[in-house]
Amino acid sequence: MAYVIMVAFLVVAGLSFCRPLGQHLGEQIGIGELLFGAPYFWVAVLAVIALITMPLFAEERRTGTLEMLLTAPVTDLQVVLGKYAGALVFFLLMTTPTAAYFILLKAVAPGMAALDWTPIFTGYLSLWLIGSCFIAIGMFVSALTRSQVVAAVGCFVAVSILFFMDTVRLVLPGAAVQAALTYLSSTQHVQDFAQGVVDTRPIVFYLSLTVFFVFATVKAIEARQWK
Amino acid sequence: MIKVEHVTKRFASAVAVADISFEVLRGEIVGFLGPNGAGKTTLMRLLATYLAPTQGRVFIDGLDVFLHSLDARRRIGYLPENAPLYPEMRVDEYLSFRAKLKGIPRRKRRERMEEVKVLCGLKDVERCIIGQLSKGYGRRLALADSLIHSPELLILDEPMVGLDPNQIRAVRELIGALGRRVTVVLATHSLAEAEAICQRVFIMNHGRIVASDSPEHLVGQLQGNVSVVAEIAGPPDEVVERLRCVSGVLTVQLVGPAASGLGRGSALWRRYRLGCHPGTDIRPAVFGIAATQGWPLRELSLEVFELEDVFIKLTASVGRG
Repeated sequence: MAYVIMVAFLVVAGLSFCRPLGQHLGEQIGIGELLFGAPYFWVAVLAVIALITMPLFAEERRTGTLEMLLTAPVTDLQVVLGKYAGALVFFLLMTTPTAAYFILLKAVAPGMAALDWTPIFTGYLSLWLIGSCFIAIGMFVSALTRSQVVAAVGCFVAVSILFFMDTVRLVLPGAAVQAALTYLSSTQHVQDFAQGVVDTRPIVFYLSLTVFFVFATVKAIEARQWK
Repeated sequence: MIKVEHVTKRFASAVAVADISFEVLRGEIVGFLGPNGAGKTTLMRLLATYLAPTQGRVFIDGLDVFLHSLDARRRIGYLPENAPLYPEMRVDEYLSFRAKLKGIPRRKRRERMEEVKVLCGLKDVERCIIGQLSKGYGRRLALADSLIHSPELLILDEPMVGLDPNQIRAVRELIGALGRRVTVVLATHSLAEAEAICQRVFIMNHGRIVASDSPEHLVGQLQGNVSVVAEIAGPPDEVVERLRCVSGVLTVQLVGPAASGLGRGSALWRRYRLGCHPGTDIRPAVFGIAATQGWPLRELSLEVFELEDVFIKLTASVGRG
């Protein structure tokens, strides 16, 4: 299943990379925006995160193996971190092959003006930051249910809302609210990063959300003892 | 080895375990017997540190499992109900993963894996994918996992379900053999299993322990007074009168006409139940009376209770109350 997800993701990512490439043929475009500015690419990322995280705890809860895991001499925190690390490593492995697009582009079109690597690196930075944060959210949702489908849907909805927060802005009134939502919106962060602009505020934002949801997952797992 | 003090476990909707206290000594094999929903699994989960009690405390080897959960877990081998496993893993892979998880040092891991595989009869499937194994193998694999870290206490929840009679015997012997070194607690609803393996049985119903003793004593307790059934053909009033005079007889009860329709020869065949003092055998005296009075006698038997009767009596009566 892991390989299926990986291949499917790379196909979608490849297509979304080609599309703007064709459209902007002969125009000036930020190299980072080619991949990281494409909404298709991000929808694929969000979907894949929902798929990676959905079985983490839901499946173990359903089959009962969670009981085996949590009665072994390891702490709940260790179990949660182990699961998180597994999902994160898979995500990193899955996304790195997309770097080949840029290398290929360079090889195919050597005439292109000097390829600027900075926005590419910052683009990956934003991808991994957002990925690690959303994986933590997905893991938390998975820890709340015994149904993988519920976990996947819940995760997808949650991370989509977070990611496309600036769209929510359009339906909510009030300048202050709109400003706040724009500030939190991942699309805004991504665009900045894809242009090579590194802002520490989103970095802190995502890292703290990650820590919070890892912690919340531990609590959700511990809650079995009190129910 | 285990000490449970006034443990209650309440779920949102119901009380699963209600104020239970007991102790299990090192090396004992103890069985928890009860109908479905009696709270056995919840109790096993409490002992295995998967759940925390709402009230009361559980000690394993003197350690409060709530405060020293990890130390307690290192001493426990736990086989949950239904023996959950990862179906996509191979047998060896799974055991190696569990051994790592349980902190068995690398050098000893191989050795321990071999030992438990031999012990549980898994040698011929070590390379198989778990999802393709039969239920019996699955359960043995889960048992192997519970043994891999050489625990001092084995908690088995319904260990025999899904095994065929040969495997049941094998597991029974295995538990018996382990029982010399290891303390075993098992939950079961099979009376034969409890009777065959356990030195001590706790009968549970509605979250409470309703009886606890060795299987033999439990049976003895229920019997209280031994009873003898006799089928005699004679004038009923007179027979009752005579039997009542036999020393050791406490009650005489006319159960009714003879059980079978074979008594056509005499319309006087009746079945009597005699309650008598334990430790006395009144059968020779009853026979003597029948012989001197010239009453035909065709059945004279001691009623033997089995653990099953104890179980049904205890769980049914509490159920009604």
